[in-house]
Amino acid sequence: MITVKDVKKIYQAGETEVKALRGINLSIDKGEFMSIAGPSGSGKTTLLNLIGCLDKADSGEITVDGVTIKKQKKKELALLRRGRIGFIFQSFNLIPVLSAYENVSFVLSLLNLPEAEVKKRTEDILTEVGLGDMMDRRPNQLSGGQQQRVAIARALVKNPLLVLADEPTANLDSKTGEDILKLMRDLNRKHNTTFIFSTHDPMVMDFADRLVLLHDGEIQSDKKKGA
Amino acid sequence: MKFLIILAWKNLSRYRKRTIITAAALAFGLGLYIFMDSMLVGLEVDSERNLIWFETSSARIMNKDYWAEKDTLPLKYALDNTNELMERLDKEGIAATPRTVFSGEIIMMKDPYLEDGSMFTKIFAIDPATDENVFEFKKTIEAGRYLEPGEDGVMLGSWLAEDIGAEVGFPLTIITRGRDGYKQTIDVEIVGIINCPNPYINRASMFIPLDTADYYLAMEGGVTEINLKYTDYTKAETVSMELEEKLGKDLNGWVILPWQILAKDFVSLAEMKRGSSSIFLLLVFVIAAVGVSNTMLMAVFERERELGMMRAMGMKDSQVKTAFFLEATGIGVIGSIFGIILGIGLNFWIVNYGIDYSFMMREIDVGYRIAGVARGVWNFDTMIQALILGVIMTVGVAYFPIRRGLKLEITECLKDK
Repeated sequence: MITVKDVKKIYQAGETEVKALRGINLSIDKGEFMSIAGPSGSGKTTLLNLIGCLDKADSGEITVDGVTIKKQKKKELALLRRGRIGFIFQSFNLIPVLSAYENVSFVLSLLNLPEAEVKKRTEDILTEVGLGDMMDRRPNQLSGGQQQRVAIARALVKNPLLVLADEPTANLDSKTGEDILKLMRDLNRKHNTTFIFSTHDPMVMDFADRLVLLHDGEIQSDKKKGA
Repeated sequence: MKFLIILAWKNLSRYRKRTIITAAALAFGLGLYIFMDSMLVGLEVDSERNLIWFETSSARIMNKDYWAEKDTLPLKYALDNTNELMERLDKEGIAATPRTVFSGEIIMMKDPYLEDGSMFTKIFAIDPATDENVFEFKKTIEAGRYLEPGEDGVMLGSWLAEDIGAEVGFPLTIITRGRDGYKQTIDVEIVGIINCPNPYINRASMFIPLDTADYYLAMEGGVTEINLKYTDYTKAETVSMELEEKLGKDLNGWVILPWQILAKDFVSLAEMKRGSSSIFLLLVFVIAAVGVSNTMLMAVFERERELGMMRAMGMKDSQVKTAFFLEATGIGVIGSIFGIILGIGLNFWIVNYGIDYSFMMREIDVGYRIAGVARGVWNFDTMIQALILGVIMTVGVAYFPIRRGLKLEITECLKDK
């Protein structure tokens, strides 16, 4: 479903060139629950950004569901993200003025779905992540874990092929983080949605079915559980 | 779109203080704009009216040569046999009054005046019977009475009277030259003092009955001008042309000059002032625009992550732009409505009470024909214009910060800062 072929990415930090990715090759199948791990600066977020069509590689090729990212225009990439990719961020990135319901439903309103369907799907997913009775609450009325559940609901409500989560538990305590990971894994199993999340936390790595370790922009290891 | 409207509205209420401050800046600018416009238009309208009521009338018939040498007030170019022309004008239904304008030196002697003195001034010989059909002096008598035909009496502008220490009943001697060029001395008594809203009249004008002047100046029925009153003075140029055609040879080669030509200096000055007023009004707008622009810049800066998230979720740049533009429109509408309310309040005051400029107008000639209180006018077009401009301006200045925000890469927006 996703192929990453010899992908390189270089950033310019002042006068210094930072080689964030130095030729990454990966193949990810549908329904995988995969973690990209590594220390800070290893290139985890850069790789997630490239797979999530938020950025473009300097060289190499990434294909998501048969679409070659490199060839797409800005608008086409926006449409690809809108329909097929969900995002979960470390700091949740919810819109503070909107309720939990509105934060989730706005993703569907971008797809121009009928209002009744938007309502049903939003309520269903919020109930599924355990926030059925907190739909009207604003982010500042929710705990960190609840906010991340809203973010998960927002990522999944459009039934995406792929959900990308950049250090989804980094801002949560370990118990809440574990709950969130369990929820993500349950949803992965239930919906067969591909989950790719980055982390440097060993507890989080343990949850993954497949663990790709990055170091200095290169893949150090790529292991599947039980393999 | 519904979502974008909800988002914009909620963001406006989320940053309530900022919304209020920005809207207040805009409201202040627009309120001031409405107020200034009202005052400037009021000044112009009143000036124009006072010019026509007390100086030029709607149009004037005079000798071409007189017009060419008007600064020297040459009596030799007087119009003779004006009675026929007056009758023709009467038949055409146009109010008219003849006048002779000349200059003279007025002599004041100690007792009753405080000291001996003299000064040159412009003297208007008016027909007391018909002048009020065209001019409005009769309504501006401050002391004494209006002129009567044949008397050796004069009326003075109030500021002139104050300057020379004159009161009703005081004598004056006028030294001038008649139509034949010989010097004439006219002894008169002040019968009235007029205080009219036109500073040019108040400052240095004197009025004498036409037949009295006719006798002393040996005019033999001649006058230097016939002043006309049109129903609509704004159409004076067209009406004058039509009238010239109608009167044909009865005009004897004399010309009809509309007030726009008679007061060319005022017309040019008004145009110039209109230009400079526009610059001032533009400045008011620029100040308001800077305030709004600053708010929008802050809004975009503060919400960079939100902007990045929305774009990551697949929102197109045009949709993000729309969301921010709707927010700016909200501020524009709120600010403009309050600006109009403020403008109406200020306008109410300037229309009903006005600003008394008499202390300034007496000493300084600024070109406006306003001697005392300057009042504004109700200009609803300006209010609608202010509302539209306010909204357009807010959306316009929001464009640059939004564009800047959208130029950032999504990954840049999402970075922890």
